[in-house]
Formats: sequence, structure tokens, C-alpha cells
Amino acid sequence: MIRLAFKNFIRSGGVRVGLALLLVAGVVSLFIGRQFLDRQAQAIADVRAYQQTDFARNIAIHKDELGLLLYYLKFSLVNPSLPLSGLSLGQRDVNPSIQSVTIRALESQRYDADLTNPANLLLGNLDFSFVLIYLFPLLVIACCYNLVSDERENGTWKLIVVQQPDVMSVIYRLYAIRVGVILGVLAVLLVLAVLVLNLPVDGALAGFAGMSVLYVLFWAAVCFWVTSLRKQSSVNALLLVTGWLGLIVLLPTLLNTYIVARYPTPEALETTLTARKGYHEKWDTDKQQTMQAFFAHYPQFRSIPPPKLAFNWPWYYAMQQLGDDDAAKSANALRQKVAQREMVSRQLARFIPPLHTQLQLNELAGSGLSNQLRFQTATGRFHEELRLHFYQTMFTDTPVSAENWNRFDVKTFRDNAPSDTLVGLLPLLAFILLFVGVGWLTFRKTAAMA
Amino acid sequence: MMLELPERILARHVRRTAFASRVVWLPMVLIAGLLVYAAVLGWLSFREQTALRVRYQQEARHDWLSNPDKHPHRMAHFGNFAFRPKPPLSLFEFGMESYLGNLVFLEAHKQNSVNFSEAGFSTGLLRFGEISLAMVLQLLLPLLIFFLGYGVVAAERDSGTLRLLLSQGISPRQLLVGKMRGLVGVVMRLYVPVVLLTVVGWLVLQNGRVSADETARLLLLMLAYAGYLVICCGVAVLVSARSSSARTALVTLMGIWLMLTIVLPRAAQAVGAYVYEIPSKAQFFARIQDDVLKEGDSHNPADPHYAKLKDSLLTAYNVDSVQQLPVNYSGVVMAEGEKISAHIYTNHFDQLQQVYARQNRLSELVAFVDPFLAIRQLSMALAGTDYATYADFQQQAEHYRYEMAQYLNALQIKYIPNKKAGPTDKPHAISRANWEAMPDFTYQPVPVGVTLTQSWRSLVALVVWLVGLVVAFRWVARTFTVA
Repeated sequence: MIRLAFKNFIRSGGVRVGLALLLVAGVVSLFIGRQFLDRQAQAIADVRAYQQTDFARNIAIHKDELGLLLYYLKFSLVNPSLPLSGLSLGQRDVNPSIQSVTIRALESQRYDADLTNPANLLLGNLDFSFVLIYLFPLLVIACCYNLVSDERENGTWKLIVVQQPDVMSVIYRLYAIRVGVILGVLAVLLVLAVLVLNLPVDGALAGFAGMSVLYVLFWAAVCFWVTSLRKQSSVNALLLVTGWLGLIVLLPTLLNTYIVARYPTPEALETTLTARKGYHEKWDTDKQQTMQAFFAHYPQFRSIPPPKLAFNWPWYYAMQQLGDDDAAKSANALRQKVAQREMVSRQLARFIPPLHTQLQLNELAGSGLSNQLRFQTATGRFHEELRLHFYQTMFTDTPVSAENWNRFDVKTFRDNAPSDTLVGLLPLLAFILLFVGVGWLTFRKTAAMA
Repeated sequence: MMLELPERILARHVRRTAFASRVVWLPMVLIAGLLVYAAVLGWLSFREQTALRVRYQQEARHDWLSNPDKHPHRMAHFGNFAFRPKPPLSLFEFGMESYLGNLVFLEAHKQNSVNFSEAGFSTGLLRFGEISLAMVLQLLLPLLIFFLGYGVVAAERDSGTLRLLLSQGISPRQLLVGKMRGLVGVVMRLYVPVVLLTVVGWLVLQNGRVSADETARLLLLMLAYAGYLVICCGVAVLVSARSSSARTALVTLMGIWLMLTIVLPRAAQAVGAYVYEIPSKAQFFARIQDDVLKEGDSHNPADPHYAKLKDSLLTAYNVDSVQQLPVNYSGVVMAEGEKISAHIYTNHFDQLQQVYARQNRLSELVAFVDPFLAIRQLSMALAGTDYATYADFQQQAEHYRYEMAQYLNALQIKYIPNKKAGPTDKPHAISRANWEAMPDFTYQPVPVGVTLTQSWRSLVALVVWLVGLVVAFRWVARTFTVA
């Protein structure tokens, strides 16, 4: 009987078309991920090439004035993309993965946007996570919405109830066939993903696969519960599509607007304006005062002779430094706000499985906001190290030629993300148990009814 | 007593059943709630963002004006900010707003990026979309229309009343027109309040001071949405008429909805972005720099282009050295450098825009099979939340930046002596009265005519759909069968 049911299921035209469409969309998404990774690699190669030629050119022109040379030199820090990010691009297309900074005031350069086409951002990527989160549930719904109810409408359920002593096991088997086939498609896609994207087979991939499987099971559990309610097929379809709409379109949207309204970020504009003013007004204020403020921040440079000339580089970079110091308060507030947004959305997302899955996949792929925040912090450290090094050499009048410039290649940021893969699975697991449990209880009452 | 037309009776019947059914009231109330929520949200967000930008724009202007006497080139680096104003109709249609930068710093010799898009500070949530009045009308109302309309003909077929109706002498054409009228009537009862809500919010936000251009945009927008909703009703009635049972009709319509609103738009854009590649930021600016260096490097004292410029100046004023020139030499060099680099940058930026346009072209073409894409693009364009409007802002900001830099270069050429100030002298400076003469950046909105010519494809696509609907109705009526 189970073999017959399987054949019946797989032979129906709609199912075949659905499975084929999903496979095609999945494969397309893998190539889009591949291209994303290639473009990231290209961008890194570009910035590396640029830094080499540009350093050589500027060093040749400004070989006598280290201060002026450093005005021009841009040092780059790269936030490398994990191969897994090809499956879940997350915020990687919005936020730049490369930060190029001079040792001048950081707050006036760190927010520089990447080149992007907003139309692409608005419509979103067709990456694997989209296929998983949006399309897989639709296939689950399409395969399961009329289970039992269809047989009831055709009058064949009566026969099954009479012939089969254990009706529940029939229902389980019907579900097992459908869920098995859909999980099979998922498995095929994941294997293809490993091949197309050269994914390392490691814990992160296992976590990614685990999340994906549980997400599909979550939707199967929802279907199980809805079909247990003994409604008409069309009502089931209505309920499930409305549920899909609510969980994937409406709730995340409402949550986003809540978070944006709750944690607004006027500090962004504030920081930029303050940084500009903080630096520029020092041109017109007392030089000694500027130097004193600078020494208060960096006591180790107190031995620099006071500026006697109308212009000298220690004073110039002290002014730049004070631009950052003035903007520090609002810049910190901005970072805190964004970190709060990240934290709150993760907490609330636990109650909305598609959202939770998306954030969790981004996290595993290192493409979420938290990765961006850590990269931002790392950029700050990177800039500070450069600054300290060059303050030392510049303020002690080291000649340009004495510096080993080859040392300043493009640097790479290593993200040590805290891992909570297993904890991330729990909310989905809880929802699955809930829906299967409630579904089981109702089915026990309704299964035997014709 | 005059006999009522059968179409009218059928239409009234559709309306009555729609409003009598309990299954329908729930989504209707839900959608109505979402509409109000979206309206309030759009209203608040517009008010807050506008207040914020105006406040900081004023602060930036105040900072600019409070500069004391100084060297004009210092002012060229002090620079100015351009804040992107939120278009008034963004209260209705958010469009790309969240993905567009809001603030650009304008200074000499450097084209900065427009920074601080909302998306940059967003968690993955934003990518699930945003709720606005336009989103409810584009996405949710069509689904409700399909829920309301899947049974208009097919359910009568299921219950056998269809045969009864036709045997009473009602023609298939009358049947379809009647059902269509009824469905449109139901939808308009939801749509008209939305129009009123938008108009009131829009009037209040602008304190009643609205331009003719903005009014035209609003009217066109409301008309376009009416057309779109009629198309959705038409699709529902046609599918219902061609389906063997109500259930098939429902499943088909839900499939259509998912395809048109979720899958196709994303797929079209993704394919466009896949095919047409944009350069990386590093490559983009490296190319610009290469071109600028080819023309001449104003920061390199030994550069041949500027050596020639120097010679021609010395000849023109008949002097032996730059110190003797009656104009400030480095000012002349900077003005020349600005001219060259701005020109090259604009060329490269235009090329980039063309790649974006090519990426988006596919979506514009797919609009001919997907009315959702057509209304979406048209709606963003009319609301001023699309890419064309953003590109226009970027152009205006760059134009202002160039004017500012050249204004200050001109002051330097005229007033700053060629002899450098000695180490202990007071640095050269000009009067702060000159700062006032550089007006603040003010964005000039795109005229509605320009917007319409830019989005003609979407406009034509909607018209094609409406015409196609009439043709399809005739065909379905002609080939109509009861079973």
C-alpha cells in the first residue's frame, strides 16, 4: 500500500512540476551564490592591485614628506566571505566587505557606502536561503494541504477507515512519503551546493543543513496540524497560504518597523556633522590647545616639540584625531543602537520561524549584521594601529624611505563569531513538537471520521 | 417598473455574498487594519525623517556660515552636505527609500558616496520587505481579490446553479460582466478609503501647500492602482470561469499570485544582476584615477599638462615666474584639476548608471507578463522613491559640489597672493562674507512629465494588460461551457 501511495503521489502532474520548479530555482540560486563569491574574490583582488600601484605611485611623488604621503595612502581591510555565504548572502550585498581608510579621521570615512544598485537590494537575492525560506514551504503546502480532506471529499476515506485497523499509521505514512520526497530535494540541493560552491564539509555546514531540515519539518508540522482540523481542502489551502503570508511577509515586516521605530539612528547624521566640525574648527583655534587635547588622548607623544610654524604635520593629524574624539560620543551611541537592533531582532525572531531561520543561516554564513558590527570594530582597531605606528614615525621625522612599505599589504579580518548552532535549532524544534503534538491530539479525534 | 439588467443583479449578488461570508470578513478586517497601520507608519516616518534632515541641514548650514575669515581652499574642504529630502508621496509608497543613502558630503576634488541608508543599520528583517499602503495594495489586496473571486463562476458550476442561470437566458458575456462588476464593486469599497486616507495624510503632511506637480503624481498614482486592481479582478473572474471546480480555481489563483508577486520579480531582477556585472568599488575608482592621471595630475608638480598650463599663463600675462602673476596660480591649477576630474567622474558614473539601467531593464520587460511589476515600478516612479529620482538627486548634488568648488577656486584665484605666507606670518585668508554668497543645497524635484517618460514601459504594460483583459473576456465568453 505504501508503495502504491508513493507512486500515486509522485505521478501526479502538479507535484512533478512543483518539484522540478523547486530544483531549478535551487540550482539557479547556487549559481547566483557562486557568482557572488567570485565577485567578492574579484573585489579583493582589485583592491589589492590598487593598493600596490597606488602606494608605489604616491611614494614616488611624496618621497620627502611622510605627513603628506599619509594624507593620500589608503590602507584596506577585507572582511572575507565564507563559502557558506554563497548560500545565504544576508546583508553582504548591502554592507561593504572592504574598508579602505587613510590615517585621517576615521568617522569621516568608515561609513562610506559600496557601489550598489538599490533595485537589486530591494527585490533581494535569489540565493539558496530564499529558495529554502520562501519556496520550500510552498511545496510542502502544495503537497500536503489536501491530505485526508481530498479523500474525504471523494468519499474514499470511508473505505480506508473500514479497511485499515490503524488509521493513524496511514496518515503518518502519507506524510512520510511527502516529507521524505521534499527532504530528498533538499538533500540533492545541499550536495550540489557542496560541489558548486566548494563548501568545506564542517560543523557550520552541518548546522546549516540541520537548520534547513528543521525548517522544512516545521512547515510539514504546520500542515499536519491544519489537515487534522477536518476542514475542506480549499479551507486548508486558504489557511496555509494565509499562514505562510503571515509568517513570511507580515510578521517580519511588522517586527522590522517596530525595531526601526524603537531604535532610530539620528546619531548617524550627528556623527558625520560633529566629525567635520570637530576637525575643521581646529584650524582656527589655538594650536597649543589642540596639541594639549591630543596629548591628553595620547600621553606617549608628549615629547613632540610644539608647532612653531604656520603648519606642521603633527598638528594636522592632531586636528584630525580631535575630529574623531569629538564624534566619539555619537559614534558609540550609533554602534550601541545598531547592536541593540541586532539583539532585539534575534530575540523576537525566535517566535517567528522563517525569520529565525534566516538570521541563523546568515549567522552561520557570516553574512549577518553581527558580522558587520564585528568588522566595523575591527576596522576601528586596524585604523588605530596604523595611526599609532605612523604617529610614532611621523612625529620623530622618520624619512619615507626608512619605512618598509611592503609590510602594508591588504589585511584580512578574521571573524571569531560566537557559535550557538545547537541553541539555534531549539526554537524550531519546539515549534515542530508543538504542531505535531496538537495535530496528533486532533487527528486522534478526527481521523476515523468520514 | 423597468426590468433590471441581469449584469446588475449578478453584480449585486457578488457583493452581497462577499460581505455576508464570515471567511471573507476576517481577511478584510485584517487588511483594513494593516492599511491603517501602514498609513500611520508612513505618516510618522515621513514626519520624523523630514524633521531630522531639516534640522541637520540647518545645523550644517549654520556650521558653514560660522566659519571665520580663512583661505578659500580650507572652505572647499570644509565642504557642504546634501541631505536627500523624503518625497511627500513616500508616505504612501516606501519604494527603495530604505536602500538609498540619505547624506552626501560635498567637498573639493572628491566625489563621496551617499551614505547612511536605513538598510546599512538593519538586521536581516528588512529583507522580508516593508509594509506601506502601496505594499498592501500591490501584494495583499490582489490575494484578497483572488480569495473573494475564485468562486464567482466556479462555485456556481460546482453547485449546478450555473446551468440554471444560463438556461434563464443570461448570456456568458452578461454573466462574466456581471460577476466582474460585482467583484470590482467590492474591491472599490476597500480602495476608496485608501485613496481618502492617502490624500488626507498627504495634505496634512505638507500643511496643505501642495504643488501642481505633486497633485498630478497623486492622481496618476490613484488611477494606476485602480487599473491594477481591476486587472486583478479580471484575472480572478477569468480563472474562475475557466476552472472545472472552485477548488481548482483557488489553487490556480494562489499559484498565480505567488508567481507574480514573489517568484517572478525576484527572479527577473536576479537574472538582470547576474548578466550585467558592475565593477567593484576599488576598480571603479581606480579606472577614474587612471583617466585623471592620463589627463594630468594636479598634485604632482612635475606633471606635463600643468607645466603647459603654467607656460601659457606666463606668456599670457607676459611675466617670468608664477610669483609675478596677477592671479593665484595654485587656484588656477585647482580649477583646472576640478574641471578635468569632475568631467571624468561624471562619465564613469554615467556608465555605471547605464549598467544599473540594463540590470533593471529585464524587470521592466517582465512587467508585460506580470502586472505586479508594472504597478510596482510605476508606483515607485510616481512617488519619487525609485532609482531614477535617486540618480537625479546624486546628479544635482554633484553639480552643486562642482559649483561650490569652482566658486571657491575663483575666490582663491582672485584674492590670494602668489607669494606664500612666511612661517611666522598670518596665513592668507579672505573675508567670511563670501561664505554667505554660496547658497545652501536645495533639491529640485523631477517634473512629473520626465518621470512618465522614464517609466513609459510600466505605463504601457498596464495599458496592455487592461486591453488584453477585454480581449480575454470576449474569448472566454465565446468559448464558455457549463461543465
